[in-house]
Amino acid sequence: MDPAVPLTNPAPFGTDVDRVFKKAILRLVKGGPERLAIEAGQIDAIIDPGSGNAILLPATQRALIEHKAGFRSLIGLAFDWYWELDDHYRFVSHRGATGAADAFEEGIIGKALWELSIDNMSEADWQTHRQQLEWRVIFRDLEIRRVDRAGGEQYLSISGEPIFDDRNQFKGYRGITRDITERRRAAAQEPHRFDRAILDALETPIAVLGQAGAVLSANQAWDRFAASHSGVGAGVAAGSNYLAVCDEACGTEQVDGRAIAAGIRQVIGGERAIFRYDYACDSPGGRSWFALTVTGIAGNEKACAVVSCEDITERKSGELLLGLEFTVARCLADAGAATAALKSVIRAICETQGWNCGRYFCMDQSAGALRFIESWGVPSAVIEQFLEKSRGMLFRPGAGLAGRVYQSGQPLWILDNARGAGVSLTALAPETGEEGACVFPVTADKVIGVLAFSSSRVREPDHRMLQAMQSIGNQLGRFLQRQQAADALRRSEMRFRVLTNLTSDWYWEQDRDFRLTQVVGCSAFGTTDTLGLTHWDLPYVVLADAGWAEHKSQLAARWSFCDFEVATVRPDGEHAYYSISGEPVYDEGGAFTGYCGTGVDITERKRAEIELRESETRMRAAMAGAHPVGRRPSRQKTST
Amino acid sequence: MARKKKDRAASGPVAATAVVMVLYITDSGPNSVRAVANLEAICKEHLQDNFRLEIIDVLQYPLRALADGIVVTPSLAKLFPLPTATVVGNLSDKSDVLRALGIVE
Repeated sequence: MDPAVPLTNPAPFGTDVDRVFKKAILRLVKGGPERLAIEAGQIDAIIDPGSGNAILLPATQRALIEHKAGFRSLIGLAFDWYWELDDHYRFVSHRGATGAADAFEEGIIGKALWELSIDNMSEADWQTHRQQLEWRVIFRDLEIRRVDRAGGEQYLSISGEPIFDDRNQFKGYRGITRDITERRRAAAQEPHRFDRAILDALETPIAVLGQAGAVLSANQAWDRFAASHSGVGAGVAAGSNYLAVCDEACGTEQVDGRAIAAGIRQVIGGERAIFRYDYACDSPGGRSWFALTVTGIAGNEKACAVVSCEDITERKSGELLLGLEFTVARCLADAGAATAALKSVIRAICETQGWNCGRYFCMDQSAGALRFIESWGVPSAVIEQFLEKSRGMLFRPGAGLAGRVYQSGQPLWILDNARGAGVSLTALAPETGEEGACVFPVTADKVIGVLAFSSSRVREPDHRMLQAMQSIGNQLGRFLQRQQAADALRRSEMRFRVLTNLTSDWYWEQDRDFRLTQVVGCSAFGTTDTLGLTHWDLPYVVLADAGWAEHKSQLAARWSFCDFEVATVRPDGEHAYYSISGEPVYDEGGAFTGYCGTGVDITERKRAEIELRESETRMRAAMAGAHPVGRRPSRQKTST
Repeated sequence: MARKKKDRAASGPVAATAVVMVLYITDSGPNSVRAVANLEAICKEHLQDNFRLEIIDVLQYPLRALADGIVVTPSLAKLFPLPTATVVGNLSDKSDVLRALGIVE
């Protein structure tokens, strides 16, 4: 069947055909089965008794035409061109089944197939094909390839069968041609489809670079990354030159495009097998970190390196916060004073998070409000002015961000992009500087203050950040609490020393064997010579053994002793007198560690006492000598 | 188009002799297509393949219909066993066809 032959339209009623048909009906026996079948609509055609031709009913004619049209449409789906060859295998017709353009622009009528511009058939192939034609066999799916004028490849599949006339004489060939270019391309892509699917399934952006740094291929994650991020990698889709983008990228704090380009060149040049570089990208959603890995490809002419950009934001953020916690701990350990520790901690937080400034407000119990204590900010006139204004600020519990955080014990943050979200940043300006703010409590069993940070880079903290805030707040709070306790102890000790100095001349300490380990003040025994000696071993000490025995028994019993008096003989032979008092010392476990006590020089007092005693003695002696003189003579006389 | 169906091995009780029929149709006319389908169903149900059927397209073999005395298509002519019979129409009347084929339900 030739599908190109046009079909006639069905003859409507009233035409000659219709009249012929009616005439044929009238020849049938009235009331006969044929007439009844026609009236019942069960007949397709009437046989003309004169010629034997079938006279189609109009409905049948329409149905047959529709059937042929449908069949022709189906044939159109099966092939693209229909052709015929003469007995010398030259094209005599070549028509498109559905009006498709001719596959051969140069025209093929009068030419044999092997005379056309076909580039995939060798002379041997054509010889084989010609042999098939000579043998008059049916050939199927002969695939030929040609290059059209635009330079595109076209694949055609040709099938044909021989034609013979009524006398069985060979007339030529007829057949069909199908355009299988798309199918061949799909088949060519098939081996790579599996690899491509795997690459696209990966979440890590991956691109393959050529010798010059051009992106030969990239997975879908790379395309998404290029479309959604700024900096290195942005917009570097397949076909673009990645090295050129890196060369043009300005070096920033986050990424050095030239360093990346140099690393890639080294990998492509075979100087190194792998190059790694971590860098940050800023996007509307915040800062992200990426681990760039460039791996060399060996043994491939086109592909030279594979670039992957793994998103390490979560890991990097965790590392930074861990580093921040470590830095805070080191600041607190190294700091001598609370204010210095506060400043270094605030600075560390600001520098890690990229925030502009931070302030610490401490609860002043006497004032009942949070009072500014310390701050740190980046060098900026605006920041310094903002911090200067903060110095006089007081926040009652529940008032302002700081007061609310103090009262609730929970962190608060105001994002810079909260403008228009119902948050009046102007109202919060005294606290935030018209930027974003992050405020979190400083705790030591209870909230003792708040840390308030201001920056346009403040973003909603994630779970890890909240953990870091809590950890830093606790560390700082306990440090400040210890500092307060240490200050109180220092002041108390100072007061104690002052009182000790007022009530004694020196202070001493002994070990558990009663040997002097420390002598502070104007000791009568000196300092250097006395250390390591017991009181009874001290030189020039004058005391009876009985006195020392009693004192030793007191020490052995761990008794406190008070005003134990010892005398020494000075080089000039004069005696000096001292009073020492002491009490036992125990460690935290209750074990005896020695004695400590004070000493007082009582030489003057003792000399006065001695002088007084001697004076009394002399007086008694004088009185005793004068009495015989003063005796009543009568008595003496009486006895005499 | 002339198609012939030869008697094949029947699987169930069959008539003692095969029924020989000729169906005259007009290419793929709607009633012709329906007649072929109806006759296929009747043969499968009642003759169990014990039949011989020849289908003649009068568009291809017009003289054959004229020679056999066929006036309209589709028409079914039972040639054997005798007596012969002819059914005109698309064979939608099953009892009429069975009666013509000599099969009593």
